[in-house]
Amino acid sequence: MNAIFSAVFLIAAAIFLIYDPNGFLPALLDGGQKAATLSLTLLASYCVWLGFFKVLDRSGLADKLANRLARPLGKLFRSSDREALGYASQNIAANFLGLPGAPTPLGVKATQKFLAAKNGYAADMLFVLNATSLQLLPTTVIALRAAAGSAAPADIFLPTLLATAVSSVLGAALVRLTGKRA
Amino acid sequence: MKYVALIIPALFFALFLYALLKKVRLYDCFTEGVKEAVPLLLSIFPYLAAMLMLSELFERSGFSAALTQALSPVFSALGIPPEISKLVLLKPFSGSGSTALLSEIISAYGADSYIARCAAVAYGSSETVFYISAVYFAGSKKNLAKPVVISLTSNFISVILGCLLCKVL
Repeated sequence: MNAIFSAVFLIAAAIFLIYDPNGFLPALLDGGQKAATLSLTLLASYCVWLGFFKVLDRSGLADKLANRLARPLGKLFRSSDREALGYASQNIAANFLGLPGAPTPLGVKATQKFLAAKNGYAADMLFVLNATSLQLLPTTVIALRAAAGSAAPADIFLPTLLATAVSSVLGAALVRLTGKRA
Repeated sequence: MKYVALIIPALFFALFLYALLKKVRLYDCFTEGVKEAVPLLLSIFPYLAAMLMLSELFERSGFSAALTQALSPVFSALGIPPEISKLVLLKPFSGSGSTALLSEIISAYGADSYIARCAAVAYGSSETVFYISAVYFAGSKKNLAKPVVISLTSNFISVILGCLLCKVL
């Protein structure tokens, strides 16, 4: 991350220096501004979903879900940490359902638990699954196409599902192949 | 399609009803969860801010446009239409930016054109990799090169596949 940040930052700053020195600071400030507004949006969705997931947890349903999935997920993540696997299972479920904003808090919690247990493999696996998009229904895209007057806004469902399934399976396989045996 | 809208309210209704039957004190429990929202946001905020500033620099400096131009022959050779290579490059950095770009492409080419369908599939089958890595690994000293490279590669392959599938499906 340090390498990418440094490289992109320096190259972009050099381009600004040569072509548009006055545009540099406004671009940075706009980035900060976006961070500030996005934070409020995120905070709103964290409030909703963290409340929801606490209720899920307390009702005992989260445990049931985790129990059901403990074995396959334990294998996938090479972990036996019940709490972390519980968050991971909810993260995956939230991704599948396409609940906007819900996977992030769960993913962050699971990753923190995995890393605290020095299980970098599990953290990588969860990250790659999230970063290759697990969504079953691309709701944003369908809504955009419907708004633009598409005759069949949902007809990209199948190609998207196939493409994203391939990317998730491929990503998981690569993590598995490159990961050290725990 | 209209049933999709039912998912979220139905989930909340069913869960809260079930929790009540299990004698969960809903208000106390819900607020306890909400309490975690601010610390979570604070822990990811610095990484979020740095990432968004970076993506702003990337786009506005013209770096992203130059990269798009340089890579577009490669993209074309792989079957990705040049019109959407910018989307493919932008998506790992910025969710809102790529959503805006997708709507532009849809209105420029028409929702049912091949280009717009490809763009929709490319958008739907990839993720904001850098953003997610910043948030998920907030504050950890872990080396992120491997998972990030794996995610970018997998997403890129899925875009190639998606463009191919749009031709036949």
